[in-house]
Amino acid sequence: MESAQAKILYNEQVAQGYYRLGLGWKTPPIVPGHFVMLRVEHGLDPLLRRPFGIYKVLGATGKPPSPLRGTGVEILYQVVGKGTEILSLKAPGEKIDILGPLGGGFPAPAEGEKTVLVAGGMGIAPLYLFAAALKEGLLLFGSRDKTVARIADEFNGFNCNIEIATDDGSAGRKGFVTTLLEEAATLETVIYACGPLPMLKAASAIAGRAGARCFVSLERAMACGIGVCLGCAVKMKDGGEKENRNYRMVCSEGPVFDSRAIDWDVL
Amino acid sequence: MGMDKDRTVVEIGSLRLKNPVMTASGTFGYGSEFIPYTDIARLGAIVVKGLSLKPRQGNPAPRIAETPCGMLNAIGLQNVGVEAFISEKLPLLEGIDTKVVANIFGETIDEYAEVARRLDGQAGVAAIEVNISCPNVKKGGIVFGTDPVEAAKVVAAVRGATSLPVITKLSPNVTDITVMVRAAQEAGSDAISLINTLTGMVVDVEKRRPVLATGTGGLSGPAIRPVAVRMVWQASRVATVPLIGIGGASAVQVGTASFIDPASAVKVADGIEEYLVRHDTDIRSLIGSLEM
Repeated sequence: MESAQAKILYNEQVAQGYYRLGLGWKTPPIVPGHFVMLRVEHGLDPLLRRPFGIYKVLGATGKPPSPLRGTGVEILYQVVGKGTEILSLKAPGEKIDILGPLGGGFPAPAEGEKTVLVAGGMGIAPLYLFAAALKEGLLLFGSRDKTVARIADEFNGFNCNIEIATDDGSAGRKGFVTTLLEEAATLETVIYACGPLPMLKAASAIAGRAGARCFVSLERAMACGIGVCLGCAVKMKDGGEKENRNYRMVCSEGPVFDSRAIDWDVL
Repeated sequence: MGMDKDRTVVEIGSLRLKNPVMTASGTFGYGSEFIPYTDIARLGAIVVKGLSLKPRQGNPAPRIAETPCGMLNAIGLQNVGVEAFISEKLPLLEGIDTKVVANIFGETIDEYAEVARRLDGQAGVAAIEVNISCPNVKKGGIVFGTDPVEAAKVVAAVRGATSLPVITKLSPNVTDITVMVRAAQEAGSDAISLINTLTGMVVDVEKRRPVLATGTGGLSGPAIRPVAVRMVWQASRVATVPLIGIGGASAVQVGTASFIDPASAVKVADGIEEYLVRHDTDIRSLIGSLEM
């Protein structure tokens, strides 16, 4: 956990509006699920860092699920606003302020549980290192079209089967990835989901109906990233009043939460 | 660099700080969170997150929204409560060479006084900052912060409940700040800090709704610095007690900048030392030296 200057190694478009960013950075130990915060400008506007899930560890020594150290990280991102637009214009060789790794990782599956990873769009990023550590699993990847769906090819060497859904039907099944999840989820399943909020809500509901455990990696606007500003609060269902702990911070207490604990009605 | 340490010493009533750099309440947690990131002993004082008598949950989410050169927040004074602060958070700062200022608030005047009473006699607490100005809670805060009569009652009650130096933190959301300055100092405040955040709103035009769950929030960051400087100057025309400036990345209480750079407060301290050496002066000579 430290603030440092990373060197941009590459910043390439993967599909329209989607980029991969390679950052040279002597990493502290990284576990699957960790994120970093990047400051896209040296000036005051935009002011705050942005959180990005760690996709790959470059030059990694060790093997997941053991913490990885490396010579850098790769970030996948989509241009969604001013910050990511500025980021997309950065050139190799430029320096960028990085804070991390932050947050906690995904809990391991229990003995006998069948692992299903559910990703929507850029939500696939933090699942990469987790998938790399699996002995067996299934990746369900939902995206806009076949150009984005191709990112799943990078999971080919892992011990997990891959099923694709796209909005336009240009690859895999036409429709939502949660339809695939509906078919895969059973009592023995443990689900790990990352993606847009409606997808996470649906995944949580499907897990509830199937009696499966489900862990979701959440994204919220953040200011500090280290649990101090209390800005990235998410409301929990219970256990709160007594302990004054209705809210959890995505940055320091997440970003991965048991979906049963989250109050989805207000998220 | 041949820095005479006394150059940076400031005295705020009986509170003596080795330098004038303090963290703004709410931007630095309870202080210990920043130990992995920066040398907090370089700070004159740490002003902790606002403390209430009972723990508080805070506001619904979303609680923050970025704005040009700043941010809005409506955290709603989520905090562990004064008792948990004393037993769990304060010991983590023991032995660190900086001063701890406890920021307090209540929903009633009695509650303010009770929080102050519980902090009185805590060895690790050097002063109390009374938050009469939080814009993000429905009860208390803003009424006390905009009404000089109510403000004076709160300050007097806290003054009577503690032997620690009392700093009153003022809201900028008033027409005439000098009225509030007079009220606070006449009620016995040993110093005045200003400004708290400016009330603002950000709208998501696609959804046609405010971004913050509470609708409005408090604006902080470099965007508010000129407003803070103006109000500190106005306050200085009538103040008979020391003033502590807050607002914007490099004012004397370092605020939102802590999010950008956990070491920002230390950098401000370095910058002040460099300035004093370059001008061959000290902090005490600089205070009140603005020429108009």
